[in-house]
Amino acid sequence: MHKIMTPLQHPAPTTHLFSAQKLGYRYPNSVVAINAIDLDITSGERIAIVGQNGSGKTTLINLLCGLLPPSTGNIYYKNKQLIDGFLDQSLLEIGVLFQNPDNQLFGHTVLEDVAFGLRQNGFSRKEADEKANLALKKVNLEKMAYKEPHNLSYGQKKRAALAGILAMQPAVLLLDEPTANLDPQQEEILLNLLKDFCGTIICISHDLIFLYEICERAVVLDQGRIQHSGTIHNLVSQNQLLRRYGLDFSFRLVDTSVSQCPEPSVLQKTVFTPSSSNTRDSQPIVSMHDYNYRYRDGTHALKGINLSIHEGERISIVGKNGAGKSTLLSCLIGLFQGEGKYFFTGKAMTAKHRRNLWRQIGMVFQDCADQLFCSSVQEEIEFGLKRLGHSRKECQAKVNQTLSMVRLEGFEKRVPLHLSGGERKRLALACVLAMEPKLLILDEPTAGLDPHGEEQLLEILKNLRVTLLLVSHDLFLVNKLTRRTLVIHQGQILKDLPVNVFMQDKSLCRLNGLSPTYRQRNSCTISVLQQKDNPHP
Amino acid sequence: MTEIMYMPVWLLPLLVFLPAAAIFKLMTGLRTRVDHQHISKNERDWSVPDMCEDNRSSFMHQWDVRFKITTIITYCFIISSLTHLASTITAIGISLILLIISKTAIKKVLFRILALTGFLSMLFMIMPFTVPIHPGDAIFVFGEMHWLQLNFRGLILASIIASKAIAIALLMEPLLSTAPLPVTLHGLSRLGFPEMLAQMILLSYRYLHVFSHEARRMSSAMIVRGFSKRTNLETLKTLANFLGMLFIRSFERTEAVFIAMKARGYKGRFPAPADLNLRATDIFITTIWIALGAALIIYDRIIL
Repeated sequence: MHKIMTPLQHPAPTTHLFSAQKLGYRYPNSVVAINAIDLDITSGERIAIVGQNGSGKTTLINLLCGLLPPSTGNIYYKNKQLIDGFLDQSLLEIGVLFQNPDNQLFGHTVLEDVAFGLRQNGFSRKEADEKANLALKKVNLEKMAYKEPHNLSYGQKKRAALAGILAMQPAVLLLDEPTANLDPQQEEILLNLLKDFCGTIICISHDLIFLYEICERAVVLDQGRIQHSGTIHNLVSQNQLLRRYGLDFSFRLVDTSVSQCPEPSVLQKTVFTPSSSNTRDSQPIVSMHDYNYRYRDGTHALKGINLSIHEGERISIVGKNGAGKSTLLSCLIGLFQGEGKYFFTGKAMTAKHRRNLWRQIGMVFQDCADQLFCSSVQEEIEFGLKRLGHSRKECQAKVNQTLSMVRLEGFEKRVPLHLSGGERKRLALACVLAMEPKLLILDEPTAGLDPHGEEQLLEILKNLRVTLLLVSHDLFLVNKLTRRTLVIHQGQILKDLPVNVFMQDKSLCRLNGLSPTYRQRNSCTISVLQQKDNPHP
Repeated sequence: MTEIMYMPVWLLPLLVFLPAAAIFKLMTGLRTRVDHQHISKNERDWSVPDMCEDNRSSFMHQWDVRFKITTIITYCFIISSLTHLASTITAIGISLILLIISKTAIKKVLFRILALTGFLSMLFMIMPFTVPIHPGDAIFVFGEMHWLQLNFRGLILASIIASKAIAIALLMEPLLSTAPLPVTLHGLSRLGFPEMLAQMILLSYRYLHVFSHEARRMSSAMIVRGFSKRTNLETLKTLANFLGMLFIRSFERTEAVFIAMKARGYKGRFPAPADLNLRATDIFITTIWIALGAALIIYDRIIL
């Protein structure tokens, strides 16, 4: 039995904790995911594994902890090959935090789940529960011990999953996109927990600003091979190196206090040409007066919403998780019917009109997998067009037009399920844009995208001439794409103000959990480093 | 000797529509009641287990889960063997008393009854007109419609079946909600139910919520792109795509969950969620309950 309570016996610094030699992995369909990797990791190291979507990062992590058997080469942990009985023993010292916490929380209650690893390791229920409670206290979830995991918020789920690993007092933490889909407040809690961890950390993330905060070394993966290995300091300062592997995030290193959103007049001319310029004097396309929404259990999700959106406006909605942002979107798009007045292009939204709102409002969901269900890219875009009554010829023309707009030309016959994260997101956007909505709603559009995918999407969104409503926790995105911000708190619109005023109001940002100070600090540091490395870009 | 009674024709629609309206009213009433069972504004304290809260403990909560399962299932068989309406109504009464004693959530009970109502109402609609005519049956004929005969015995039979179903359905909530699901499944395993199947049920229950959220999000995404269900090939194709995608996502999730379980030392068995120790009170409760069942049988078969 692995003695969890005994102090961690780290090997001498000269010995390698992990050693991968000529490591390779091939999927059952013969696609090579990892190709002849040599990697040594010493005890106590904090190492970042970075690379574009599909570069093999998650597969490498699964190989390192022995969850996948290598196709070629070997993995050594503490100088012993990770196989058979030693593998079982080692798994108790290696904690893996997977990207989707729902896959990791399989217990009936949070406590039962956190205690699972300990019980499997032979601890009595009483001992396991005591240790699990301590781990829950560490992640600030002790008051949720008997809650069912599906009733937790996303951030709480992530912390509960981490508690399940910390309870086992692992020597190594393998983290797969730990900050994906977390709001900044939850991100900061997670960051502090990781900073307090005294063992080895191996972390996969697209978020180099976050990695810069916790890691010392960085390994760049591309097409299953290690292309670069060095300090993270060295990696982030080399703009050209980052660009070569699709990791350049320098577009994010800008002053967020100045609005980055272009004026409507300077936007490129695209297929969307609003008939009138945006002006507050014209009739709003969306108008809500004293709008309320209650869930069936009686929870008051929206309270007295007063909102006007004019044609051509670019608006962001910010607020903590659970503030009512998604409920407001569902009401706007007609999925929910609340109480109060709601007018779209001057028409009162009765039950009959509400059912037809899809013709005029388009929405790109946070997880684009929810939105893509057809067997080819062409069918996917045609899905909405056919329902709008377009002929086959018109559909084809619109498919070509929107695919070129989102830079997916030639993808018509591809299967959406097989596209990369960035490509799928752009496809989801294309499906909506093809329908020429009067109002485009984007829910966390860059969640889970690598820097290259993020930059591509931003370029497309920046140049669209369409009324835009953006929901995001990402201050950079809010600043880049919108000119007006609605702050939602506990189901009410707390503030409606220009984005640059919002950006300068630190207390408002903090109230909405949008003030990760370490990000601003790291952005400045990295910006200086990049300028030093490349003074004349 | 079969007794035939002639009724005016106008009574037939009344006899059909009045019960149908009453059942409809009952169903909508139950639905409204269920919908208005608001969650308390003060969220419960999740740092203590549900079953430990003083107001939720009863002898049903304390009862050894193995004895509880065996006894209640045996008792359900006893109920299903009853043959008289009076004894089945008594069984409903006993179930209601147990429901009150075990302090189970009325909302869940109403949901179960609601689910049964549609099916049971069909019995009331069909059986009076379809049961074979036995000597001594009271037959009602409407006007000159001799081909449509309402047999009063059919109505009684439908009532007996409905009462039995309700009496058993009322017992399911005390059986399933007075112990956490893992404990109930652990008890079942100890009674010989395959352990692997119990693990699968437990995981299915956990991921049912994730699955339904996923399905709801996908369905919303389809609606906002103009999908509405119609009786045509296009709808069938879209639904097939929807189900296919749900299947693929569930399959991928299954693999991911298994990997996550292995990463935390899973070797084919879940840890036991509770220690099951036999106590004298467990045997006492079981004896009382079985005696109650025996009394019902005696009442049904000898007294009535």
